[in-house]
Amino acid sequence: MFPHPRLAIATASVLAWFLLPQVLSLHYLDVLNFAAILAIGGLGVGLLLGQCGIVNLGQAAFYGCGAYVTAYGTTVLGWPALPSLVFGAVISGGLAALIGFPILRLSGFFLALATLAMGSIAGVLFFEWDWLTGGTLGMGGIPKLSLLGFELSTPGRYHYFIWPLVVLLLWLARNLVDSRPGLAMRAMRDAAPAAEVLAVDMHGLKTAMFVICAVLGSVAGSLFAHYVSFVSVQSFTVEKSIMFLLVPVVAGVHSVFGIVIGALFVALVPELLSGLGDMHQVLFGLVLVLVVTVVPGGLTGAFKQFRLIRRGR
Amino acid sequence: MQHYTSLLLQAALSGITNGFVYALVGMGLAVIFKGSRIVNAMQGEFAVIGALFTVLALQGGQLPYPVAIIAGIAVGAVSGVAIDIFCVRPMARRNASEEGFLLLTIGLAFALSAAALYFGGRDSHLLPGYGGDGVIEILEATMPVHAVWLIVVSLVVVLALRLFYTKTLLGLSMTAASADPDGATTTGINVSRMRLYTFMLGGGVGAIAGILVTPLISMNYQMGIVLTLKGFAAAIMGGLSNPLGAVVGGVALGLLESLAVIGFPSGYRDVVALSILVVIMIVMPHGLLGRAGRVGG
Repeated sequence: MFPHPRLAIATASVLAWFLLPQVLSLHYLDVLNFAAILAIGGLGVGLLLGQCGIVNLGQAAFYGCGAYVTAYGTTVLGWPALPSLVFGAVISGGLAALIGFPILRLSGFFLALATLAMGSIAGVLFFEWDWLTGGTLGMGGIPKLSLLGFELSTPGRYHYFIWPLVVLLLWLARNLVDSRPGLAMRAMRDAAPAAEVLAVDMHGLKTAMFVICAVLGSVAGSLFAHYVSFVSVQSFTVEKSIMFLLVPVVAGVHSVFGIVIGALFVALVPELLSGLGDMHQVLFGLVLVLVVTVVPGGLTGAFKQFRLIRRGR
Repeated sequence: MQHYTSLLLQAALSGITNGFVYALVGMGLAVIFKGSRIVNAMQGEFAVIGALFTVLALQGGQLPYPVAIIAGIAVGAVSGVAIDIFCVRPMARRNASEEGFLLLTIGLAFALSAAALYFGGRDSHLLPGYGGDGVIEILEATMPVHAVWLIVVSLVVVLALRLFYTKTLLGLSMTAASADPDGATTTGINVSRMRLYTFMLGGGVGAIAGILVTPLISMNYQMGIVLTLKGFAAAIMGGLSNPLGAVVGGVALGLLESLAVIGFPSGYRDVVALSILVVIMIVMPHGLLGRAGRVGG
């Protein structure tokens, strides 16, 4: 019926995206904006998992770092938004290089638990350094972002700002994956000894990837701080790190654009199940276990398999 | 001067008590790693399940304390079996990766902690201590009677595990099944049955940990991840596949933690413990006991 079904789908989804703020309630727009923030932080975790096979259970550390630098910079020091965001990203990236250099010698379970320890330590420090972070009371009054004199003060306006940013970052990530270092990383993941023989600097590449992951987490944190204008330790727990990890796991680690599907899933499903009270968390957990045990390729992987089976017939 | 020595002694005593708690969780981790090569990120949840079920049986079911304890341990063991049958077995059949198993146990930890919230509520629960709530005095420091029981039971469990793994055919078969699955199959060992037993044992030991801790630290649905992390630190220091090593690691960790609190504000206790964990993993990948510690136990 359509000569270009892909083009039709793309046009339809852009149109739908554009019309969403007119159709959806404020509450669901809010959830969608959180999904976008999750997508940015989850993209970093996904690159690390998909390209290097590294499970990062400490993304909340960098997410919190970005959020607190933005909060402190814009409220206490009176900096504009962009320098705060960049400074947060620089600090996060620097920390990631410092921490990553020693711990990336580990692999598998041990590396994952080292990142979990990193996330937990960061959680304690966010709590204890209340002169900097406000502790459990948090920090409020973070100004809304404004773009070209246009204040992004409502969820609808933020929607038009953050999703194009997500798409831009995903596009950059895909270019990275297809670039020469990306190919080197794929070689490192699939055949480490062969990659080493071909003079791939594995430790350096892993560290660089860890830094990129941290920078994305930090940017997500800064955007979060501007969006809700209030940050406190409750937002940067180990559960948050697990949510960031789930984004690529649900989506399937080898698909960069699948991150959007994963983020929508992680943000929307608990919301849709929330009518069931505390039971919704149990169901969410079971869904996750089901995804890991039954469809290891994630949702995008399951879709691909389904198409292959249909084509086979 | 007198004051400082008693402070130091008190810190050491509570450090040793905490250390045995970590050791118990670490032992369960070691059992599961030994028998399946999986690091179980939900080991702490076994402790939560066992403890909360014992509380339920004791207070809701009005069962006698020993029966309630046995019921709690049985529930831990049964959940271990269920996890092996429903999750690990299908994944092992398609040769899932190490990351896959890690993600599985993280998902399970999430689901079980949510289930504990749903069925057990937000409240924290305490169990009565064995030997009452009395304390014994050692010089100028005190120690709950229950803590002595905790240490004694931990030592009994670790000795029993050691005898089981070195002297019985079943224990040796369980080790063989994970060390060399193909070789074990050739000699007639049912590898997947052995993994089932491993998870049963790991779940049971995890539940024992939870039941022993609950008279000292009140148990709630959020405790699982903390226990898992500390237990993992203990197990890592002991070489990961050695239950006896977990005791050495746990006590070392507990002592370091409580002595660090003398110098730092108490909030930094976890920072100290987790930093030690990371440094040990990097510097001493075979644990405090070295390569030799991996063999026995």
